[in-house]
Amino acid sequence: MKKMLPLLRAALCVCLIFGAANALAQQAFDPMRPAPNPLTPIMSAPQSATAETATDPDLGDLPIGVGAEDTYYQCIACHSTAIIRQQELTDARWDYLWGWMVEEQGMYEPDDEIKDTIMEYLKTHFSSER
Amino acid sequence: MSEVIPSETGTDSDTASVEKPARRAFLKNTGLTAVGAYVGMNIPLGANLAAFAQGMDEANIMSTKEGLVLLNDRPINAETPAHLLDDDVTPYKHFFIRNNGGVPSTALDMDAEGWTLTIDGEVDTPLELTLADLQENFEVVTLRLVLECGGNGRAFFNPGASGNQWTTGAVGCADWTGVRLSDVLQAAGVKDSAVYTGHYGNDPHLSGDPEKVAISRGVPIEKALEQDAIIAWEMNGEPVPAIHGFPLRLIIPGYPGSVSQKYLTRIWVRDQVHDGSKMAGYSYRLPAYPVAPGTEVPEEDMVVMTDMPVKSLITFPQSGTQTSAGEATEVRGHAWAGSGDIASVDVSIDFGQTWIPARLDPAKNKFAWQRFRADLTLPQAGYYEVWARATDMNGLAQPPVVPGWNPRGYGNNMQHRIALIAT
Repeated sequence: MKKMLPLLRAALCVCLIFGAANALAQQAFDPMRPAPNPLTPIMSAPQSATAETATDPDLGDLPIGVGAEDTYYQCIACHSTAIIRQQELTDARWDYLWGWMVEEQGMYEPDDEIKDTIMEYLKTHFSSER
Repeated sequence: MSEVIPSETGTDSDTASVEKPARRAFLKNTGLTAVGAYVGMNIPLGANLAAFAQGMDEANIMSTKEGLVLLNDRPINAETPAHLLDDDVTPYKHFFIRNNGGVPSTALDMDAEGWTLTIDGEVDTPLELTLADLQENFEVVTLRLVLECGGNGRAFFNPGASGNQWTTGAVGCADWTGVRLSDVLQAAGVKDSAVYTGHYGNDPHLSGDPEKVAISRGVPIEKALEQDAIIAWEMNGEPVPAIHGFPLRLIIPGYPGSVSQKYLTRIWVRDQVHDGSKMAGYSYRLPAYPVAPGTEVPEEDMVVMTDMPVKSLITFPQSGTQTSAGEATEVRGHAWAGSGDIASVDVSIDFGQTWIPARLDPAKNKFAWQRFRADLTLPQAGYYEVWARATDMNGLAQPPVVPGWNPRGYGNNMQHRIALIAT
């Protein structure tokens, strides 16, 4: 029985996917199926947020949500949204980065309300914590 | 992640696999007209026209590259898939791009008219050298040197570290021609008070503020005076291309690539550790002690990163390739280390349970990457992974997992792995 389990599981999968009994023989083991890059699973997923959330092509493909527009116009003064969309950071790192951009990189600092909106947006969509 | 990150406009999203038609279109639309507009430009015979076209726009740079994965389009940052790094000498089209600022117009125009390099600070005689001065007054050398971004492998840290999420491809090894940095520094006369170098280029800061410096890093004076560091004006026998630092750049091998200043205009010899842009804070720094993943390390406990760790990359075959079970197949790649030469490379087809010694070629010169090869026989049909593990002359080997987490995700030298399918 122990030996049968993987076979049963494979058969179940095949049936679910193809619903065809005669596919079982070929699909039970298919060495020709596309192989994953073995490094992929252990990577953090910088686009995991955007995978679930619709993005706005007019806002540099940032995920649609409260603060997207403020974030877009604040950030693209210096860099493209491509660097934002790669991030998956702790809240503390986002707080640090904001200060670094203002103090070291010459970023214009908006009023507190806009700042809070942007930080909330970044910590929601590009977070390692949620 | 093997997908291309689309650009803001979506128009460059195909740059990761620039096909020949796109390339031809670029030559037709931009390269040739630009060349025509600048009569008198001496284009080396057989040179990549696109790469050396004058008047290039920054947005066109990716069309002169082939197969790179674009991580960021402003500033431009792009990495090379492992299987495109199989050449002993990485060609221009496959050389990764790491830019901190914009590409200066002098580089885009390939205009070196009046270019000078200043050597000042803790020296007996400050120098202002033209390109001709460098070419005529110092011994010209060509060295094969690895250039690797300090953040190569950042994508594998968890929690994530800020910056471009390089996987394995922020590395390349080219033939660089120029003069030894040590010869130039010694011509100026390095004072006993010299501690560090500080490098400057003319690349504009992203904010557009002309007072701000995009990046200005340096190395301990002892490192600068070693024989391997050069001031280069040629890459692979051609003028250093726009995106790689035309007309002059430093190559200081073994350290994070950021010390190898592009668009080089000045080397300031300092009487203290250089405090230029991206020397302080968390940039190119590591915690002074081991920290748990996600730790907020106080800034004062961060220390400047020096030697890059020992590393290797499997460049052939491409991950996911099929091979015949029971028959020997060649697996090959490169190994390199910030400490110098490689002692050995081993490969495994059983997830690191047993290791097979690879054949290792000697380095062409110190800090060139070294070719390794192994003939592997996969015993039966199925899924295999090939892992590679290089060991440096100090006996340090690559770890199987991501080494010490750090806030900016530097120095990840975990073993590279590819999938092989035996049929």
